[in-house]
Amino acid sequence: MSKPTKEFNLGNLLQAFPRRGLFLLLFLAATLPLFTTVTLPNKPWDDSIDFYKNLVALQPGDKVLIGSDWTLGTRAESGGEFEALIRILIRRQVKFALYSTGDVQAPLVARDAIATIAKDEAANGQKLYKPFEDYVICGFFPNSEGETLAINNNVRGAFSGRKDYPENGPPQDVLQSPVFQGIRKISDFKYLVLVTPSNTERITFQRVKDTKLMFMVTGVMFVEDHNYYASGQLKGLIGGVKGVFDLETIMSKGYESIPPLPGKNEPGRGTKYYPALHACLGLLLLAVIAGNVGMWLSRKGVKS
Amino acid sequence: MLPLLADLEPKSFWNGFNGSLPLKVFLIGALVLGAVVLLAILRVPARLRRPVVAIFTFVSGFYYVLLWLWPTPIARDPKDAAVGLKENVSFFLADAQPVVANFSNILSGFLLGLGVFSLLRIHGRKVMKRQTDWGFSFVLLASMFAMILFGYWDFWIRQSPTGARLPFAPGDGWGPAQYGKDLLFDGFLQQMDATMFSLIAFFILSAAYRAFRARSLEATVLLLAALIVVLSLTGLIVQGWDSGVGALAGNNPDSFLMNFRLTDISKWLRDTVQTPSIRGLDFGIGIGLLAMSLRLWLSLERLEGDA
Amino acid sequence: MNEFGDQYRDTGWFGILLVVILVAFLLFNIWRARGGKDLFIRRIPGLNSLEEAVGRATELGKPVVMVPGISDPINAKAMQAINIFSYVTRIAARFANPILFCCGGASVYTVSQEIIRDVYQQEGLIDRYDMDSVRFISDRQFAFAAGVAGLILREQAAACFFMGEFYAESLIFAETANSVGAIQVASSTEITQTPFFIAACDYVLIGDEFYAASAYLTRQPVLVGSLVGQDWCKIALATFAIFGVIWNTCGVHGTTTETFADGKFKPVKAPRQGWVDDSLLTRLFKPSPDPDVKIQRPQLSADDLPKPVKDGGS
Repeated sequence: MSKPTKEFNLGNLLQAFPRRGLFLLLFLAATLPLFTTVTLPNKPWDDSIDFYKNLVALQPGDKVLIGSDWTLGTRAESGGEFEALIRILIRRQVKFALYSTGDVQAPLVARDAIATIAKDEAANGQKLYKPFEDYVICGFFPNSEGETLAINNNVRGAFSGRKDYPENGPPQDVLQSPVFQGIRKISDFKYLVLVTPSNTERITFQRVKDTKLMFMVTGVMFVEDHNYYASGQLKGLIGGVKGVFDLETIMSKGYESIPPLPGKNEPGRGTKYYPALHACLGLLLLAVIAGNVGMWLSRKGVKS
Repeated sequence: MLPLLADLEPKSFWNGFNGSLPLKVFLIGALVLGAVVLLAILRVPARLRRPVVAIFTFVSGFYYVLLWLWPTPIARDPKDAAVGLKENVSFFLADAQPVVANFSNILSGFLLGLGVFSLLRIHGRKVMKRQTDWGFSFVLLASMFAMILFGYWDFWIRQSPTGARLPFAPGDGWGPAQYGKDLLFDGFLQQMDATMFSLIAFFILSAAYRAFRARSLEATVLLLAALIVVLSLTGLIVQGWDSGVGALAGNNPDSFLMNFRLTDISKWLRDTVQTPSIRGLDFGIGIGLLAMSLRLWLSLERLEGDA
Repeated sequence: MNEFGDQYRDTGWFGILLVVILVAFLLFNIWRARGGKDLFIRRIPGLNSLEEAVGRATELGKPVVMVPGISDPINAKAMQAINIFSYVTRIAARFANPILFCCGGASVYTVSQEIIRDVYQQEGLIDRYDMDSVRFISDRQFAFAAGVAGLILREQAAACFFMGEFYAESLIFAETANSVGAIQVASSTEITQTPFFIAACDYVLIGDEFYAASAYLTRQPVLVGSLVGQDWCKIALATFAIFGVIWNTCGVHGTTTETFADGKFKPVKAPRQGWVDDSLLTRLFKPSPDPDVKIQRPQLSADDLPKPVKDGGS
C-alpha cells in the first residue's frame, strides 16, 4: 500500500514557520541596519519634549541628583539615555551626585560611562568634568526602600560616611565635595533623574516627594510610567530606544520652537539603533500577519 | 578606616559618639546584648516562639508606620533644635531613618553568606562525586572564587594611599588585580548579562508569532490595537501615515480627519485605554499588597508551613 | 505655625486619612470573617489548575519547578509566592513528586527552606524532603534567569510555576518552559510583565488574583476576610474616582486670576479659564508644601553641630 503524500499547505506553513528560521531573520534584521547610516524621520513624544525642556532650563551651578540603576545588559536603552543625560548636564554646567539602589554593578558602570563622555565632551571644547569636583558617586545602597526614604527625608544623612575618589587622590567624604555644598535637603537638588530598568522607579516614586522627578526607563516600563507623567507627578519621561532617539533628535536639530543643544552632537545610541528597531518591529508585524493569514487559510481549507 | 557613625545633621543620639571610645563601648555592648537575646530566644519554649516572633515583627514594622503617621517636621534647618514633644519625636524619627535603613543592609550581608553556603554545598557535592553535569558546577565554583579573589585583591589595593590613586579605566599603575577584575567584570559578566537580555528579543518574536492570532472578537481587537502601537514606534510609517492624512485633510489642523493621524490614534489608545486600565490594575495590586503587608506586620498571616 | 494641624496639612492629611480608612476596612472584615461566616470567592482558573499541573508532572515522572520571583531582600510579594508554593509542595509531597524551588535571593532562600521543610514535616513525609530541592541560584537578575532556564532544560520540568516579582527575565522562563512542553502557571506583580506571561503561559493570575490566591486555596477565615476587605477598598476607590470625574466635569471652571503651584497661590499673567490642577480635589491628592515657609526654632550651638569628617576617620 502506498503512503499518503503530504499536500503542500501554505496555511500550515505560515502558521508553523520554524522557530530557528524566525530567529535567523531577527538576527539579520537587528544587525544589518547597524552597518547603515540611515537617518529616519521622527516625531518626539510629549514626555521626551518636556524632559529635554526641563533639563536645558537648568542654569550653570544648579545641582541634580541622579539615580543610576542600569548595567550593560540594558545599554541600548538605559545606556543611551544615560549618555544623553550626562551630555546635557555637562553642556549646561550642572553638577550632579549619583547613587544606586538597584544593582551593585551600577555605580561602576556609571563611572566608566561618565569618564568616557566627559573626555569626549572635553575634546569637543566643553569643560572637562572631574570626579568629586563636578560630579560625585555615592555608591550602592542594598536596601532600596529604606535608603530612598532616607534620601527624601535626610539627604545628607543618607549619603553620610560614603567616600568617592577625586582625580588622582585618596577617597574623601562625598559630603565634602563641591557638589554637596549648599545641599541641606533634597529640594536643593533641582531634579532627581532616575535611569533604571528595574523596580526602583516604583520605589523612588512612592518615597521621594520633596523634589521634582524625571525618569528614564526602558520601553516596556514606559507604558506604566506614562501614567505618572500624564497625572503631572513626573515632569519628564524618556522610554526605550524611541525615547533616546527623541532626545537625540531634539539635541541635534531642535523641535518646533525648541532650539538644538549648543555643542557638537554626534549620533548617539538612539540614532544608531533606531533603524534596527524599525527592522525588528517590521519583522514582528510580518510574522504576526503571516501567522494570522496562515490561520485563515487553514480554516478556509478545512471548511471547503 | 571609615567612621562608623558619620556626619549626620544635626547632631543627635545617632552620631553623638562619632569615632570615640564611648562609640566602641556602645558597639561592644550591642554585640553582647545581641548574643544574650539570641541565646534567650533559643531557650524560649516552642509555644512562646510565635508570640516572640510576632513582637519582633511588630516592633520592626512599627518604626516605619510611625515615621509615616507622625507629622513630618517642615522647614527644618540643619541647625534647628526641636521644640516640644511632637517635634522631638519627629526629629528623632527623621534622624534615625538612615541608621534604620542600614539594618537591612547588614542583614543582607549575613544572608548572602547563607546563599553562598547553599551554592557551595550543592555544586561542591556534584563536583566531588562527579555527578551528572558536574562540569557546569565546576565552572560555577571556579568563576565564583575567581571573582571573589580578584575583586577583594583590587579592593585591598585601593585602600592604600597609592592604590587610591589608581584610575578606574585601564591605565598607569594597573596590575594583575585590576586587569583580572576588569576581565571578569567588564569582559565576562557585563557581556553575559547583555547576551541574556538580548535573548528576550528572540523570545518576544516567537511568543508574538505564536500568540497573536485573531481567534475571537476580543483577540482581533487586541491584535489591531497592538499593531497600531507597534506602527506608532516606527518613524517612517508614522510620517507616511500622518502626511497622508494631512493631505486628505487639506493640511487644515482643525479638520476632524486630523484625529486619524497615527500619532493621534496611538496617543488616544495610550491615554484613554491603556493608562486607565493600568491605573485600575495598579490600584488592585496596591490594595492587595497593603492587605498582605498588614497581615504580615500584625502576624495575622498563618503560613502553610505553620502548625 | 508650629501647631499639630499645620504640620499635618503639610504632609497631606487626606492621604493618611484615606489609608487609615482602607486599613479599617481590612481589619473589620478580618474580624467579621473570624465569626465563621462563609464568604464567596469567584473561580480563578489558574489556581484550579495547580493540582492538575502537579498530577501531570507525577505521571511523566518529571519534577515541578517553582520560582518565587527575584525579590531581594524578601518582601510581601515573595512571602505570598512562598505561601502559594507551600500549597503546591504539599500536593507534590503527597504524590511523591520531586520539586525544584529556585530562589533569587538569599533571604528568600532562608525563609523558603524553613517553610518547605515544615510542609513535609506536617504531612508526615519528612523522609521525602530533599534539602537540595530548595536552592539559591543567584541574586543577579540574568544569572538567575540563566540558571533557572538551564535547570528547566536539563531536568525537563513538566510543570512550572512562576509567581512573584518578575522583570525582564519573565519571558526567558516562560519560553524555556514552553520549549520543553511544561504546563505553566504564572503571575507577576509587575503589570508590564503580565502580557509576556499571557502570551507564553497556560494560566496566568492577573493583578490582585495573585494576592487572592492564598485565601482561595486555604479558605482561612483571616485571609477570606482580608479579601472581602480588599473589595471594600476597591469600591471606596472607585467611588472616589466617580466622584472626581463628576466634580471635575461639573465643577465651575470659570475665569481664574491665580493658580496653586509649589504650595502657594500665585497670580497668573492674564485671567484665564481654570484648569483641573487649580481645583481643590487635585490639591487634596497632591499636597505641596510652601518652600518659603520659615519656622522660628532655637538654634543648636556650634559645639553641638557635627564637625567635618577627616580622611580615614578617627
